[in-house]
Amino acid sequence: MIAVEPTSDAALARPVPVKRDRAEVFVEYTKSICPVCKIVVDAQVNIRDDKVYLRKRCPEHGQFEALVYGDAQMYLDSARFNKPGTIPLTFQTEVRDGCPSDCGLCPEHKQHACLGIIEVNTGCNLDCPICFADSGHQPDGYAIRLEQCERMLDVFVESEGEAEVVMFSGGEPTIHKQILEFIDAAQARPIKAVNLNTNGIRLASDERFVAELGRRNRPGRAVNIYLQFDGFDERTHREIRGRDLRAIKQKALDNCAEAGLTVTLVAAVERGLNEHELGAIIEHGLAHPAVRSVSFQPVTHSGRHAEFDPLTRLTNSDIIHLIAAQLPHWFRASDFFPVPCCFPTCRSITYLLSDGTPGTPGFGVVPIPRLLNVADYLDYVSNRVVPDHAIREVLEKLWSASAFMGTDTTSEKLAAAAAALDCADACGVNLPEAIANLAERAFMIVIQDFQDPYTLNVKQLMKCCVEEITPDGRLIPFCAYNSVGYREQVREQMSGVPVADVVPNARPLQPILTESPYGSKIAGSGVGHRPDGGRRIAPDHTNVGRGIR
Amino acid sequence: MRARPWPPSAAKAKACCAATYGSEVMAVLLGDSYHPGGLALTRRLADRLDLRAGERVLDVASGRGRTALTLAAEYAVDITGMDLSDANVALATDAAQSAGLADRVRFEVGDAERLPVDAGSFDAVVCECAFCTFPDKPTAAAELARVLRPGGRLGITDVTVNPDRLPPELTGLGAWIACIADARPVDEYVALLTDAGLQVTRTERHDTTIAAMIDQIEARLAVVRMTARARAEALGVDFARGPVVLAAARAAVADRVLGYALLTAVKPR
Repeated sequence: MIAVEPTSDAALARPVPVKRDRAEVFVEYTKSICPVCKIVVDAQVNIRDDKVYLRKRCPEHGQFEALVYGDAQMYLDSARFNKPGTIPLTFQTEVRDGCPSDCGLCPEHKQHACLGIIEVNTGCNLDCPICFADSGHQPDGYAIRLEQCERMLDVFVESEGEAEVVMFSGGEPTIHKQILEFIDAAQARPIKAVNLNTNGIRLASDERFVAELGRRNRPGRAVNIYLQFDGFDERTHREIRGRDLRAIKQKALDNCAEAGLTVTLVAAVERGLNEHELGAIIEHGLAHPAVRSVSFQPVTHSGRHAEFDPLTRLTNSDIIHLIAAQLPHWFRASDFFPVPCCFPTCRSITYLLSDGTPGTPGFGVVPIPRLLNVADYLDYVSNRVVPDHAIREVLEKLWSASAFMGTDTTSEKLAAAAAALDCADACGVNLPEAIANLAERAFMIVIQDFQDPYTLNVKQLMKCCVEEITPDGRLIPFCAYNSVGYREQVREQMSGVPVADVVPNARPLQPILTESPYGSKIAGSGVGHRPDGGRRIAPDHTNVGRGIR
Repeated sequence: MRARPWPPSAAKAKACCAATYGSEVMAVLLGDSYHPGGLALTRRLADRLDLRAGERVLDVASGRGRTALTLAAEYAVDITGMDLSDANVALATDAAQSAGLADRVRFEVGDAERLPVDAGSFDAVVCECAFCTFPDKPTAAAELARVLRPGGRLGITDVTVNPDRLPPELTGLGAWIACIADARPVDEYVALLTDAGLQVTRTERHDTTIAAMIDQIEARLAVVRMTARARAEALGVDFARGPVVLAAARAAVADRVLGYALLTAVKPR
């Protein structure tokens, strides 16, 4: 017989320990940076309350967490829209310390440059409260010279062979005295299109300049305008741009129409500021003869910006849902598809066929994805059989960071997509011709969430296809350039003035922040200040498996 | 006896379907590239049928061959596509060639009610978005059963309609709705297959796919209005009625009067 141990009353009373579940689903392990000191640290991506967050810990500055996608289902679904990268013809750097310390492009980079950006200056005729480039009326910036611009263009062409698009940016590129020469230099090279990224002040006031741009905009060598355009409320203008620019924007648009220039309206969208104006911006674009596309960009919390909460920032899926809510008769969230050339969570696009003017009888809008099953072509995971490879190629060019309305490539591919919309061969219909004509009035909507020091995920960075071309001949992924310290490095090299690493103006960081000479925030402790040089980009402090809880 | 609002006879249904698909505007509106659910539903059907590499499969009403090519490439089955239209057979054959699948996919002209193949010659038969258009459904069901080997499986995806509750907006549409109007409730498909000697193993509703199809028709209608309004009106498209009809169709889907279903059946050994 087995003796039963007597059980004491005390043992009975002791609570049985109960295992608890974590409050989140762990979906990725990756690398990021400390937003304060920019060292490379391990990071986790977790799903909580149907939202996607990136979390990391710096041994010195503690834990950071930011919202990276507002709709977890869309985040996970987007993974299928990822295509194999294309290897560029040349790399500019070697792999030494790993991503993101070796930019670039280093041989570990997964994608070529769909879009090259040349910042021609740091000076600007505005001092916007929100500016990822930290530009303005500043005495100690820099402007590139023509031979520097030519070298940058050559590096781009060496890497790309025939390049699709170069974008001139700044600062404010239109106030650079040689901007037309820069455009000429680009057009003299195998670069199919030039985009001018501008606040529109000179376009509004200098009609001769606009005419010069119009003269350069020709078949095979398009010049398009990428116009900063954040909304219609005076408050939007004052808080994002520091000035009421509404009349100037309208005049700039009208002058562009007069000169036959194609315009993309580019809105920086900030939570609690102008997120209610997305639908109005689209309607305005559809109604204006110069405008063929709108690009919505959640405010990049790099450089100069208003105080923000990293846990409630706007993301691509938030913008998509806002558009669908503000224009429910025209859009549904499912009309937008991720772009497979970069990492699919970075950018989403849709195209519309439209006819007439919004607000007038007979106006019609049809999102192209309702006519053509985009997923059958751009879902690279599910589809082992592609119904038609020619159509996939067309859609790849349209769902790309190199797609801009006004370029020949985008126009050709839109016409081809329109022709694929129906069954011309079977029915002998003449409608494709009519639809192809309609495609000339197609309209594009792009949503792009650039990464900042809070949200940076090396996984996305490694496949970035939007590159900053630097005067010393590197191609640096845009979000690395703005987040990791490359922008500060290049400005320091070009201007000869020390530049401290910029730190996001995030709510949790307020106690340690102080103002930089350019209006952005830097660490008050002196971290990231290197008055004697010795800058090292993003030193590695990863410690796989430990430290982030 | 139940009154079928439209069409009154099988012969007329066939004529209406022919007229529908023969009209260029209707061809644009309905398209032929995508059945509701697209390739995702095709893959689901294949998984439900447990298709195995090397099995002999017949695709009845194969259209331009998308289902057949997908099944051949992804499930490595040996597949024969059969379609009434010479043009479709030619297009599908070309597509098989260019996909490098000609060794295991072939397309032939054939009528679902008189399949030109031997009895018991297939391991599986699939038929997507087409059974509802067959005017003599008992005969077609018997043919599908005949060509299966004992133990062979049938997979159908198709439009479902409860004709008694179809709203008047959808019955007055003439040619556009002709095919849908001869669709049946799921129960009736089950009965047709059972009467043909098959044992139905599964029915699934996929009504959201037909809602997506309505979206596509709406989008196509909008494009036709933008590009060829006068021509379409001359061919009988009433753009003013479009929104009314589409709203009625959406309501019908919401009320489960109009839907889309997946059915599988097996031929007893």
